[in-house]
Amino acid sequence: MNNVTKLLNLTFLLTAVSTVVGTAVADETDVELIVSKANHIAFYQANDGRAESRMLITDGGGNKQVRQFTVLRKDRGEQVDGDQDFLVLFSRPADVRNTMFRVIKHIDSDDDRWMYLPGLDLVKRISSGDKRTSFFGSHFFYEDISGRRLDADRHELLETTDQHYVVKNTPLDPDSVEFIHYTVWIDKSNWMPTKTEYTDAAGKIYRRIEALQIKDIDGYATATRMQASDLRSGGSTLTEMRYIQYNVNLPDDIFSERSLRNPPRQWFKRS
Amino acid sequence: MTFSPNAPCVIRPDSGSKGASQPVSLRLISLSVPTLLYPVLHYSILFAPLLFAPLLFSPLLLLPAKSLAEDTQQNIEQSGAQTDSWSESASDEWSDAGWDDEEQGHTIHGFFEVAYGARIQSNRWVDRDDTLNEARLRIDYSNYFGPLYASYKGDFLVDDLTWDGPFIDTQTREALLRFSVGKNSDIHLGRQILTWGTGDLLFLNDLFPKDWVSFFSGREMEYLKASSDAIKFSHFNKLANVDLVWSPKFDSDIYIDGERFSYFSPLADSIVAAPPKLSANNPDSQLDDGELALRIHKIINGYEWALYGYHGYFKSPVGFDPERGVNYFPKLSSFGASVRGTVKSGIGNMEVAWYQSRDDSNGTDPFIPNSQLRFLTGYEQELISRLTLGLQYYLEWTQDYDELKDNSLLPGKEPEEYRHLLTTRINYRSLQDKLTLSLFVFYSPTDDDFFAMPKVIYRLSDSWSSEMGMNIMGGKNDYTLFGQFEENSNLFARVRYSF
Repeated sequence: MNNVTKLLNLTFLLTAVSTVVGTAVADETDVELIVSKANHIAFYQANDGRAESRMLITDGGGNKQVRQFTVLRKDRGEQVDGDQDFLVLFSRPADVRNTMFRVIKHIDSDDDRWMYLPGLDLVKRISSGDKRTSFFGSHFFYEDISGRRLDADRHELLETTDQHYVVKNTPLDPDSVEFIHYTVWIDKSNWMPTKTEYTDAAGKIYRRIEALQIKDIDGYATATRMQASDLRSGGSTLTEMRYIQYNVNLPDDIFSERSLRNPPRQWFKRS
Repeated sequence: MTFSPNAPCVIRPDSGSKGASQPVSLRLISLSVPTLLYPVLHYSILFAPLLFAPLLFSPLLLLPAKSLAEDTQQNIEQSGAQTDSWSESASDEWSDAGWDDEEQGHTIHGFFEVAYGARIQSNRWVDRDDTLNEARLRIDYSNYFGPLYASYKGDFLVDDLTWDGPFIDTQTREALLRFSVGKNSDIHLGRQILTWGTGDLLFLNDLFPKDWVSFFSGREMEYLKASSDAIKFSHFNKLANVDLVWSPKFDSDIYIDGERFSYFSPLADSIVAAPPKLSANNPDSQLDDGELALRIHKIINGYEWALYGYHGYFKSPVGFDPERGVNYFPKLSSFGASVRGTVKSGIGNMEVAWYQSRDDSNGTDPFIPNSQLRFLTGYEQELISRLTLGLQYYLEWTQDYDELKDNSLLPGKEPEEYRHLLTTRINYRSLQDKLTLSLFVFYSPTDDDFFAMPKVIYRLSDSWSSEMGMNIMGGKNDYTLFGQFEENSNLFARVRYSF
């Protein structure tokens, strides 16, 4: 009897293992599924989150600047991987301290962006027409931070290596962007996009974004160190994230004009 | 006699309106500080804060030193990091430096700034050629005390143009307590900067005090807004948000008073300057002589809608009492509305305001501005990456215009019934935002005058920044808003160390 049970258990265990291993190993071939999973991992993990971020901006001449800020993010939840709310509170450098940046990311239309300048008590509305413009002087673009619409590009699975899916993305509206296409390396083990290279009209790679460090945070694979490089000027920006928390249950109403003048301290401070 | 009857236009630097007059004879008594002494006085004063500030704020001495040390440390680490191509250890060291700054929340920040500006042409009415000549230390401290947030911003400065010694002047820019009442209301209590409305350097419903002297002399744009001593009550709910601001004592604009800049005086029918400074009788300081400002606002589908109300006074002394021979701030009420939101791939805005001149409701008093309807519409778009273009059209429609002309002492110098103003802003950011080039131009086809502000802002590092610019004013006539300031056109430069 015992032997039978043992045998059954062993069989069950083997089946389970082979199922798991089988799922992990089998290569995905549907490119749309690959990019949507990568998009989810990069921008939509958990329902909300909090992180402190720091950027070291180095220009081609070696001059450095630092930006430090805390980000609160919440998914609106109206659709899967859809609209999101962001609050970004700057703490460094000194001349932008307490500047608050608020974004509503829309999937189907332009984002809404506001910036609060405490010195003037001014709420400035910022046009979001050009998403491929520098995020606060860094080599990251707004689109790198908040994500690019999946249906803005045609996706093509170039290659499946031991570690990566390599996807080529060609813009449907080439006039709206500065690249001809870009290639993304997506880690097969966790769907994390680990490298992106942008190619210009001359066929040269001129821009690269890399995830330099990925950590498991509350069970979510998270890029905690990223670098954007401008290969033409030699400048680059290194971003680090710390004090990351997921599923902190941010209330909806903190993503409002009130928070521009009165930052919700309970959520911005480290817990 | 009522030049610019309804007060200085939007940008209202007193605009030498009718009340702004000086007996011509008085200004002939000119200041005669020996010109040779200027350089000495000048530079010793510039450095005075360096000597005094540390004495007054010796604990603060540590701060710049600390930041410098941090910077240096960072530089070392960064150069190391570069050679290591961001090896793990190098990055970690960089990352650890200063992560805690933010969390402490109660550190003292601020800046030290030296500024100089001078006229680009000589001015017949003002002796001194410099229009900006000062050194300034800003101290900025804020902290949470339980549910209470306290913030202080103070400037310690020596302004060579106004300084009469022997001590450093202090200006409290903000001394504020903020706390919540219930779940949905905030109170801001104390000295604070207040702003609302949708215009870019054009203010219709924003009747909070402005500092036109700072604006025209090239101080940092922050100084365009002067402080209010007020209570601001804000209530937030789904129906609409409400802001109610009560300033128990009237806070006027810091207007052009002839001390640094000359202006047109309708009473003298000429450009004038100090001495004497243009002075004005303030409203009484009884509780019911203050100002009330209201805003009801809501965002609907990404469009920001707002209604405004104001009950107080014209912010510059545009009234004149011929019996007592003094300038004063006539009573003003205003109502308005605005909307702002995404239009195409830019931001569009529209704002309207009705200015009710309560002391001259039929428009016949030549010494008080008439009522006006003001209208603004604007559009801003990022044309190409980092290059932003903004355009605005602004209208002042003066009411009871026939009565104004009939009673005016200078009917030929009144602005037209419909005064049009166009503005354009071009902004270009480059070099990782270290370099900003901007040009803002006001042009009025009806006044035939203009005001151009080219500017270059360069951030040398996160601590050091500099700004150079010009304020170029001119026009066909010397009595229009910008035309009167032609000989005040100036060039300025500032260097700032932030900590």
